[in-house]
Amino acid sequence: MFKPFERIHRTTVIMLVAIQVIVLLSIWQAAPVGLIPSPLRIGEALGGLFTSSLLWDNVLVSLLLTLKALFYSVLITLVFSYLSVVPFFRPLAHFIVKCRYLTLTGLIFIFTLLTRDGSQLKLSLLVFGIVPFFTTSFLSVILQTNAQEFELCQTLGYSRWQSLYEVIVVGKADQVFEVVRQNFAIAWMMITMVEGLSMSEGGIGTLLIKYNKYNDLVHVIALQAVIFGLGLFFDHLLGRLRHWFFPYTKL
Amino acid sequence: MTIYSKGETLLQVKNISLTYDNKCILSDINFSIDDIIRPGIQQGQVVSLIGRSGIGKTQLFRILSGLQKPDKGEILVRGCPENGSPKNITRFPDSANICPSDDEPPVRSGKPWTLRPVHAGDMGVIFQNYYQFGWRTVEQSLRLAAHQNKALMGAENDAILEYAAQFDLSDVLKRYPKQLSGGQQQRVSIIQQLLKGSDFLLLDEPFSGLDVCVLDKVVSLLLKVSLSHEFKTLIIVSHDIVTTVAISDTVFILGKKNGLEGSTIVQSIDLMERGLAWQEHVQEKKAFTETIREIKACL
Repeated sequence: MFKPFERIHRTTVIMLVAIQVIVLLSIWQAAPVGLIPSPLRIGEALGGLFTSSLLWDNVLVSLLLTLKALFYSVLITLVFSYLSVVPFFRPLAHFIVKCRYLTLTGLIFIFTLLTRDGSQLKLSLLVFGIVPFFTTSFLSVILQTNAQEFELCQTLGYSRWQSLYEVIVVGKADQVFEVVRQNFAIAWMMITMVEGLSMSEGGIGTLLIKYNKYNDLVHVIALQAVIFGLGLFFDHLLGRLRHWFFPYTKL
Repeated sequence: MTIYSKGETLLQVKNISLTYDNKCILSDINFSIDDIIRPGIQQGQVVSLIGRSGIGKTQLFRILSGLQKPDKGEILVRGCPENGSPKNITRFPDSANICPSDDEPPVRSGKPWTLRPVHAGDMGVIFQNYYQFGWRTVEQSLRLAAHQNKALMGAENDAILEYAAQFDLSDVLKRYPKQLSGGQQQRVSIIQQLLKGSDFLLLDEPFSGLDVCVLDKVVSLLLKVSLSHEFKTLIIVSHDIVTTVAISDTVFILGKKNGLEGSTIVQSIDLMERGLAWQEHVQEKKAFTETIREIKACL
């Protein structure tokens, strides 16, 4: 277990993680640091949140917004990524990739002018924030395509468009799930920020901002734990879906 | 001595030269492959291209397949007769026809054909690592190839099942490439290119890394393919001299000539002329051993 590159059984991994978490929480509980609440108090707050509809209503709002943003982001990413193999569209795809260096702060006003209501504003900001990261990841997948995949297409007498369809669209379909999985954290991180811009619809970000405003650290950390847990759940779910839709990824 | 004659040219390599990174790799390569006619027998042929490692075999392989353009020269292959492609469905000895309309004898002399520049897709190419799409099952991969062959239109499924049975792959049709052994992957690659319907099959180092038992199977498989159709021409690029020569009709040796920077064809050997083609246990013949010695001296 302490040797480099040692392979350990799955059950051992689970036990290892469980023990480490318990030890960490015990140390935290035994030695509270100043204003930081103890795990037991956070646990109590979590229990309270789970039994109230407040949490679930807000989680649902955030989830719906995230899923909507993911759907549009994936759509836009795929269109520009597929087109990036056509030289005419390549600069546009690369421009989108570079857009990840932009910050949303100065652009929010422009988006407010361009959108009709708070809901649209949140969605468009999320999509604008996510697409550059999705496109960066998916373009790197395309760039790493094995040259033999195209050569096999050529030997089969495929046209270039047929090769694009077979190698990139069909061949890299499983990678779309992987790209979404790897970058889901970006969307999940941004949701709390954009929800703060239009709080009337609620959402887990709104809830977090409210608790934060009153320095209710117990509930802030409890909500962070919920966000973390949901993130892990989606990470796992997307991985599972990838294996389910594309069984060859398990081999 | 077996009676045979040579017919029209099936493939012509003219003045091929290739430079890579300011270094001449191939220089002035010329050879041609002619149709071999044996009275009363319809069969294709096996041509081997032998050379040391690093001599430029793979580059020549890629040029022959149309995947790479040479700096100079051209590859010409047999083009279609005026009224479209000749029937191009592989028939194995003692096997049922995979296409009901395939009873006509293959087109040979008398029908006009022309030589035209090779394009990627004209040749069936079997890469050294038998590359297949990892996201397609064997059956899907074979179907993709069959759809490219107009002569199989409407009979793709029958053809796939027939080939799979012939090549002992019926049980693995639903599997992905990663679930196949090396030998199965090789057979899938061969069937895929056969289904596509090319007359030419280019094989890059097909005997590389095979153990003795598998080697014998691969050899008999290639012979089976070469005997399947009049125009079926296997071009084997290899550095395994003994195995390759044993199944070949013609050998071209790629090597260095004095005064030339790049590699070129230093010798061609007509094994039919020497009575070393289409012979069982040819390796036991004295003439075979002498030929191997002669080839080694050229490398």
